[in-house]
Amino acid sequence: MVWISFILILGRLWASELPALLTKHSSETLRFISMDGRYAYVQKKPGVLGLVSSFRSIDFMTDNQNNDFLVTSSPYKGRLLIESIPDAHIEMNLHKNHKISVVDYGNTVVRGIGFGRNPKLHLKDEWITYYDTSSKVIRIENLLTQKKYEIKLSKKPHPFFIPEVEMISSRAVIYSDINENGYAALISYDLQNLKSAVIFKSSISATRLELCQSKDYLAVGEFPYDGVNRSSKIQTLAIKEFTNLSTFTTIYNTIDQDVGNIVCLPDYLYFVKTLSQDSQLNVKITEAVKLDLKSQKLETKSNLKSVAQIIEMDGRILIPFRGAFYVLEGRSNIGEDILKSVPNKEELQIDI
Amino acid sequence: MKTLPRFWRNQFCNIILGTVLSGLCLPTFAQTTPLESPKQVEYPGIIQTFEKLIQIDFEKIQKRTDLLTKSGKSFSKLSSTTNLDLEPDFLNSIVLHSDPGYLKMASTDRCRFYEAILTDLLKSSDGKIKNILMTYLEDGKRESAIIPKKDFLTKVVSEQCPETQKNIAAFQIKTFSETLKTINFDIPNGIDQCKNIHFEWLTNPRTPFICQIHEYIKEAKQNGGDPKDLQQRKTISKILETKLSLTQKDYIENVCKHLDDENLFCDEFLNVSFWTKIANGLEDSLYAEDICGPSSGGMNSICLARLKKEQDLCLYPSGKNPGLRPQPNCDQISLALNYSSFNANFRDCPGNSDQMIATNMGRILNHFSPIQLAQQEGTCSSLSAGVTYIFNKKFDNDENWGLEACYDDKINGKEICSKTFFGKYENDPASYTNVVASILKETRGIDDSTKCEMVENSEYNPILLRFKSGCFIVFEKDNCHISQCKHKIILNDRPVDVVRIKGKANLAYFPSNVLNERFSQHYLLTRDYKKNGRQISNLSSVHAFFKKNSKGIIHGVGCAEDLLPSFFKTYALNQCTPMPFVINGVIKDKDKVTFVTRTAGDSLQAPRLISWSSVYSAVKSYQKKHPIKQWTMYGLD
Repeated sequence: MVWISFILILGRLWASELPALLTKHSSETLRFISMDGRYAYVQKKPGVLGLVSSFRSIDFMTDNQNNDFLVTSSPYKGRLLIESIPDAHIEMNLHKNHKISVVDYGNTVVRGIGFGRNPKLHLKDEWITYYDTSSKVIRIENLLTQKKYEIKLSKKPHPFFIPEVEMISSRAVIYSDINENGYAALISYDLQNLKSAVIFKSSISATRLELCQSKDYLAVGEFPYDGVNRSSKIQTLAIKEFTNLSTFTTIYNTIDQDVGNIVCLPDYLYFVKTLSQDSQLNVKITEAVKLDLKSQKLETKSNLKSVAQIIEMDGRILIPFRGAFYVLEGRSNIGEDILKSVPNKEELQIDI
Repeated sequence: MKTLPRFWRNQFCNIILGTVLSGLCLPTFAQTTPLESPKQVEYPGIIQTFEKLIQIDFEKIQKRTDLLTKSGKSFSKLSSTTNLDLEPDFLNSIVLHSDPGYLKMASTDRCRFYEAILTDLLKSSDGKIKNILMTYLEDGKRESAIIPKKDFLTKVVSEQCPETQKNIAAFQIKTFSETLKTINFDIPNGIDQCKNIHFEWLTNPRTPFICQIHEYIKEAKQNGGDPKDLQQRKTISKILETKLSLTQKDYIENVCKHLDDENLFCDEFLNVSFWTKIANGLEDSLYAEDICGPSSGGMNSICLARLKKEQDLCLYPSGKNPGLRPQPNCDQISLALNYSSFNANFRDCPGNSDQMIATNMGRILNHFSPIQLAQQEGTCSSLSAGVTYIFNKKFDNDENWGLEACYDDKINGKEICSKTFFGKYENDPASYTNVVASILKETRGIDDSTKCEMVENSEYNPILLRFKSGCFIVFEKDNCHISQCKHKIILNDRPVDVVRIKGKANLAYFPSNVLNERFSQHYLLTRDYKKNGRQISNLSSVHAFFKKNSKGIIHGVGCAEDLLPSFFKTYALNQCTPMPFVINGVIKDKDKVTFVTRTAGDSLQAPRLISWSSVYSAVKSYQKKHPIKQWTMYGLD
């Protein structure tokens, strides 16, 4: 603990002002931009999603004018996920399912998948998972074969619970669940024999399990919910050793009530750490930190005092903060006009 | 100060206050040196000095009284006197021997001072004051006289303070009960409001008389005072006690004990566990029912005691009123509730709501004008729908209510739709029960007297005689929300399928374009419902708002990902889950500021403490996402 604190103090000294993400598009309308800035998915107006690429702009998705869009990618960059949120400002409903579609990376041919929340691409973007809030089911679909699976979650008195899902192989789906007393667990579901097994169970209640995956490891973050005094922990599991459940390695452990929201990269991960806290008033100073997987060195990367979230977008790590986006990793200024290489066939091909 | 004996503090304050009284409040007293310095002064320790002061004072007052008695200078014999005042030495004696709280109250006004003497709250070297030493001007010369308390009341107090006689009459045994009804025993929910309440008590003309009763009861209980009439005083004391409720007794004790210290006064309200208040009957047991189970006759005191020790008991309550889980721990809920005066006397099952705008609106409307709970039928989340619909109808905005029940009018060959909300509230025609009944009248020819009733599917049993005839809307409790409700209609023991539900209960909380501004809920609240609507965009505006309107609330919409980042994770650019909320209290400790916040996803009885920083981030992020970049946090009062 002393060692971690010392590192944190050093880290805080080094935490410099972060650059804001600068693009040619207004930050409010931007939904996705590739690392090099060549592809930008933009919500041009409510209910209309467009792709801007190679000096061409095309509106390729039009929904109800009250709809809002979210676009996400995976490290593999094969496909993109599009969520269309119906009546975003007039139906405030945490149980609401979103319309989920996929599109090839940098492309505009949309394929409808279903209705749910928190969609995620897995395994070279060949699989998609999402959670259907109305039937409390995790839906899994192979995008190539279109084979579908579903995992029904137990009925629980947690009305807004949404599980975290990762696929570590075409057979194994790992997801988080929670029992009626608030104990979180990690469950492995075998798509071949349709059987599940608990691979990790939290020893304390009122924590949530977060999952993320990169290269050859799966990270499991255990963080307390807001308003609860609990410790925080991050463990990793080498994916190739997945069958051996004793191989969980704790890489970070603290009594602090960290926010979490981890993002995994090949050699390190980012998460939101609580640097100081008044637990009586529930007032926290939170910053984005970087945890090196090898050295387990922790480095404070922001100086915003109230960081809540970290997101990964096409390899770029961002802190969304009060309507702006601060860049932790990746180029921040992609608004400047520089001469780019001749676009390849793929880039020019915008299907309508 | 905390480590020093209370005696030291009292005497120190007395001297200071004595100086203040002589110098500011009663300037004419400062004509002679109040205390002559002893010939020999020893300073071995501060306590001995005080003892000496008291001794000197005692001797001085004795001598003065004897002298005036012997000289026959009785005030009653005097006819034309002016500039009546208390003797400075007598005043100093009072300052030296009285409770600092009562002295502070007495120093606020000349009449309060006199009343404090009359009610035996102020003491002199003899204890309770029987005779008063006065000075006056006679033929341009200042003279002194001694006056019995009775004459002091009729000849001095009645003339200078006409209100005092009325208050004396109001605090007789016969009138006490009626007087109590007119006294405000406001329980504060914030430090600023608490300090205001303390100041009101300090300057209230009734405070001396209320505290007289408190001291009277206390003395009788401790077998104090004159033993000759102790039995009689005990009897009167018992009569007085029966007229006071437990809450009033505690409240009065806090007032009278802490008149000189607003912080201690406020600690009693704000730092006492909310669970203790429930156990003592000071707060509604509804706040603990989800955790401790329903109270029949009295809340489970063992459970309430556990809530103070076991913080985690509040995280996952077993009650059927789920909201966002886990709830905050018991300490945080208790602290938040101590600083909140939000009317939270009903359940609205936020976990079952599919329209948080209606949930939030129901809460806001109930705060300003309590919901008629007895007039409700259906799921508890649909109660908010009824309240919100009727509110919109009142201000001619029901046209924008999207939820409709439709049927085919086969005679005219058209579809006929009526605005509706699931459930029944205030027997409004748009209640689903009434809409279904009128549709069945048109399509099935049922008579006017047939009413439809909302019945939970677990309760519905077709075998029972009760369900054999009549109209029943049988709904699935877990799937019956505000916009959607899974149900079937049973008419005379047979299902009917003539009603179609169209649309959703969608509403604009804040205007999403300039043209529809006047249809938004915020507009109706501020313009039509006249609850002002002050923009809250910085911390000083929050403080100013609550300082001015202790019962006001701040309402708004923010991104859930900023408001509650451990519950809502961001994974995409510009992701924002709009979350309505109500703020009804501020807790400040140095530079840390936190709000008592109820998001529309939280149980109404379990508010959260959310920092200003998080609330600001949430509203700012939502503003960026909002179609017309509307700021969405306003104070309503």
